[in-house]
Amino acid sequence: MLFNLRLIPLLPFLGAAILFLFGRFLRREFVHLIAILAIGTSCFVTADAAWSYLPGVREDGGLRDVVWTWMSSGDLKIDLAFRMDALSSVMCLIITFIGTLIHIYSAGYMAHEKDYARFFAYLNLFCGSMLVLVLGDSLPVMFVGWEGVGLCSYLLIGFWYSDLANATAGKKAFITNRVGDFGFLLGMFLLFQGTGTLDIPGVIMAAKGSVAGLHTVVMGQPLVFWACVFLFVGACGKSAQIPLYVWLPDAMAGPTPVSALIHAATMVTAGVYMVARLGAVYLLSPPAMAIVALVGAATALFAAIIGFAQNDFKKVLAYSTVSQLGFMFAGVGTGAFGSGVFHLGTHAFFKAGLFLCAGSVMHAMSNSGDITKMGGLRKLLPWTHRVFFICWLAICGVPLLSGFFSKDAIVASAFATHVFGEQLAWVGPTVGVALLAAALGTAFYMSRLYFLVFTGDCRADDETRHHIHESPVEMVGPLVVLMIGAALVGYLGLPPAISELFHQPDLNLLGHWLEPAVGPEMHVPENIEWGIMGVSSLVGFAGIGLAWLFFGKGYREPAHKFAAAVPGFVQLVRNKFLIDEIYAFVFVRPIRALSQVLFLVFDRAIIDKVLVHGVAFFVDVSGRIARIFQVGDVQRYLAAMAIGAAGIVFLVSRPPIPDALKVTIDGSAVTVDASTMVPSGRSLIYRFDFDGDGEFDRTGTSAVQRWPYEGAGNYTIRVLIGDPRWNTQRTLTHKVWIP
Amino acid sequence: MNVVQAQAIGLPEKIIFAILAGATVAGALYTITRRNPVTAVVSLVGTFLALAGIYATLSAHFLTILQVMVYAGAIMVLFIFVVMILNREEISPVSFHGFPRRVVGVGAGIYLLVVVWDTVWRLRGVQVLRGPLGEPPADFGTVATVGMSLFKEFVFPFEAISLLLLVAVVGGLIVSRSHKQEEQAEATARRGKEIRSQVRVETRVGAIGTDTHADESHTAHH
Amino acid sequence: MPTFYYILLSFVLFFIGTAGVLLRRNAIIVLMSIELQLNAANLAFLAFSRSLGDVKGQTFAFFVIALAAAEAAVGLAILVGLYRTRQTVNLDEVATMKR
Repeated sequence: MLFNLRLIPLLPFLGAAILFLFGRFLRREFVHLIAILAIGTSCFVTADAAWSYLPGVREDGGLRDVVWTWMSSGDLKIDLAFRMDALSSVMCLIITFIGTLIHIYSAGYMAHEKDYARFFAYLNLFCGSMLVLVLGDSLPVMFVGWEGVGLCSYLLIGFWYSDLANATAGKKAFITNRVGDFGFLLGMFLLFQGTGTLDIPGVIMAAKGSVAGLHTVVMGQPLVFWACVFLFVGACGKSAQIPLYVWLPDAMAGPTPVSALIHAATMVTAGVYMVARLGAVYLLSPPAMAIVALVGAATALFAAIIGFAQNDFKKVLAYSTVSQLGFMFAGVGTGAFGSGVFHLGTHAFFKAGLFLCAGSVMHAMSNSGDITKMGGLRKLLPWTHRVFFICWLAICGVPLLSGFFSKDAIVASAFATHVFGEQLAWVGPTVGVALLAAALGTAFYMSRLYFLVFTGDCRADDETRHHIHESPVEMVGPLVVLMIGAALVGYLGLPPAISELFHQPDLNLLGHWLEPAVGPEMHVPENIEWGIMGVSSLVGFAGIGLAWLFFGKGYREPAHKFAAAVPGFVQLVRNKFLIDEIYAFVFVRPIRALSQVLFLVFDRAIIDKVLVHGVAFFVDVSGRIARIFQVGDVQRYLAAMAIGAAGIVFLVSRPPIPDALKVTIDGSAVTVDASTMVPSGRSLIYRFDFDGDGEFDRTGTSAVQRWPYEGAGNYTIRVLIGDPRWNTQRTLTHKVWIP
Repeated sequence: MNVVQAQAIGLPEKIIFAILAGATVAGALYTITRRNPVTAVVSLVGTFLALAGIYATLSAHFLTILQVMVYAGAIMVLFIFVVMILNREEISPVSFHGFPRRVVGVGAGIYLLVVVWDTVWRLRGVQVLRGPLGEPPADFGTVATVGMSLFKEFVFPFEAISLLLLVAVVGGLIVSRSHKQEEQAEATARRGKEIRSQVRVETRVGAIGTDTHADESHTAHH
Repeated sequence: MPTFYYILLSFVLFFIGTAGVLLRRNAIIVLMSIELQLNAANLAFLAFSRSLGDVKGQTFAFFVIALAAAEAAVGLAILVGLYRTRQTVNLDEVATMKR
């Protein structure tokens, strides 16, 4: 390895720091040069580490780089450590490679942007955080990256923050993610409780050994179930799954390269990565796996349906992303971790390509993303069209392109899986069928998008049409690279059936590579494999054909007819099934009302009135009082001092009063002498109370008194001695027992 | 308490003490009651001289000389100077701001005086207060003795006092420095700068040679 | 002479000084009263020094004189500065903290 593993996330961080501090003083060329260089070098280091050094240690947990001990408390010891194993190397390569491409693309796309340096600083910061997430050797380090990418996502969605809608979208993404992050934290705590460690290899070791702590029953289910479910809640937030997917479509408010990098290729796949990483833990709990798979399949189908009726270029792609993430979760949920990660990789290429095409198209269309106003761009944007064409076919699942292989692998393993056991055996086929339906939907809405945008006649107004132009080379270059990737990445993960066909031992390079990290590739019977391949090809072509029927060369008769036949349904789909409105009613409004109450009670009443105003009022009043004495005249201060000194002297110079009684008993009479310590010449007044009835029996200047008791018993003698001259007095008591 | 019989005191001694003490008290009272500060300073000098006499009766020869030279001499001359600089008759010598409190303060002072007087009077038989028994050593209170004490036991405080005096001198200088002079100096400096910049502008203009004509016509007009 | 006479004289002097500080409004007279107080302290030092036969008291009196010189220098300088800015050394007129 050329350098240390820590260099991979450090380089982008360094770039971000330079751009944050000095970006505004640098020329644009330097700004993007620094950013691209940072992520490009990181990509190079990653590739070097993965190619030259990782193969040797792949079986033994990969490369590890401990930077320092982050925290150490009792049994808990967390190192700030990075680990590159088979899985994280794949993720790292995807992130740094596609990240580099998108950085280059951004240099062209954002050329007219005012805040150039800030954009690239955020982008670099994001890449660094994402790499920390991926390379983190323990769950807390992973969580740091997890939060870091959330922050960058927020910052980049709201990049054009002067527009309220963008800022709101950023907040929505951040808050929704926080809900998920809370789940992640809970899951992390539960895992620590169950395994006593937070190191990912340690957790996996414990899971493989199936330690007892993981099977402690909590609320009717083993602890590992809850840990997996809570972690999956975190994954749902980050990877936009039902019910936390709502932020991703709104996140399209950010610049398009951001959508491509963060909200399609890398960050949103973090959840999938995390589940794949902790696959051994998930395998311990079939119900948790079932939840993951079912939520993934449901999301895939649901988002695909919403995608039918969206009219914004990027919104369609956003729902498509949600849907494809659903595929990935279905894959990892059915135990096909390799397939899930495989789809993650292919999706990163073709979806990044699609998004960058969207950016290119919007760039040409004067920043409008309304597909009802597009059409016929095939001639006007030849390169963009070529790239979009290939990526479109790839996502539709047309055979021999990348999407076909990866989607196929997931669907096939859904039918073939055994991870759910006897009771939950129905989950696998259900997920498979749902995924096939979702694949049909995918092919339909993506084809609709393609036909409406690139075929037929242009529906834009003259002004816009006049300005349509192909994008500059720094935008087209990355597009072409991504196109090649979208076409060819699929050959890294050829299914076993094809290996058989060519009489090769194993052509599933990726699955083989990932084996030490996520376990051996699931065995899919050959007949299922071929069957699924056929069905899914069929489904893909069917979706494309259906779309051609509806939208080929612009809106066609069937499309209008369909819309006229079920206008309510179309409207409902276009409004995304009113999910946002339901959330607003169920969650947002009560919380807002509660916040209002808290605001009025705590902020306005307690903090503002009592604490802030109260303190000010108190200070004001005490200041006014103190001002009476603070006259600013030293002589009067001195006078006060003299008075005080005289007072102290008066108090301490008063002669003492006797503090002891001398009591002698003879028979039934007592003699009390209170004259101790009294110098001659002092006239004191003595009051004696012998029988304890509260009334003084003798009063006078005589200090010695004798008192005969009438009967035996306990008596309390009380003597009050007063000094009339100094106005002081003291009470003395003494208990006697008369026999 | 070690009560001893009071020893007999010679009449001349009594008379000298009475005269000096009377002069001291009278001078002090005169000082604080005079309306004219010059009179006050002069009577204070008298008070200090009388005090110097009392110091002499206590065999403090060195301190006596110091009292005359430093106090009645140097410090009082300083006072005289300042009085001369600031000499203004007072309309009413007594301050009536917050008068009640001041009077109560003086009353408190009188009370303190009475209490300590009473205490000292009642304890007058105690050894320390009863007074010097017998003659002091021959070198008691000479420059040599005090000097030995000063440079042997109290070197550090002595150095500290020297530093204090230095700081006082510098502080006095800074505090009493005339602000008017400062302002004048600043104004002069500013004017000099202005002149310099003007000269620079003029030379530049002259070098270009465009405005010289206007200047000439201006002067010609005058 | 017995020491207590000196001590009583010292008390009286100190009281006169205090009264001057408290009552006078001319800052110069106030400073002089402070000098009186310091001298009263010196007198007590010297009296006890003689009574105890210990020369340390005289050393302390020496320090007090040095201190008095410093105090007089700074105090008078302040008065001069005050007079420059306010044209008065009347303490009633310069007490500006509460206006």
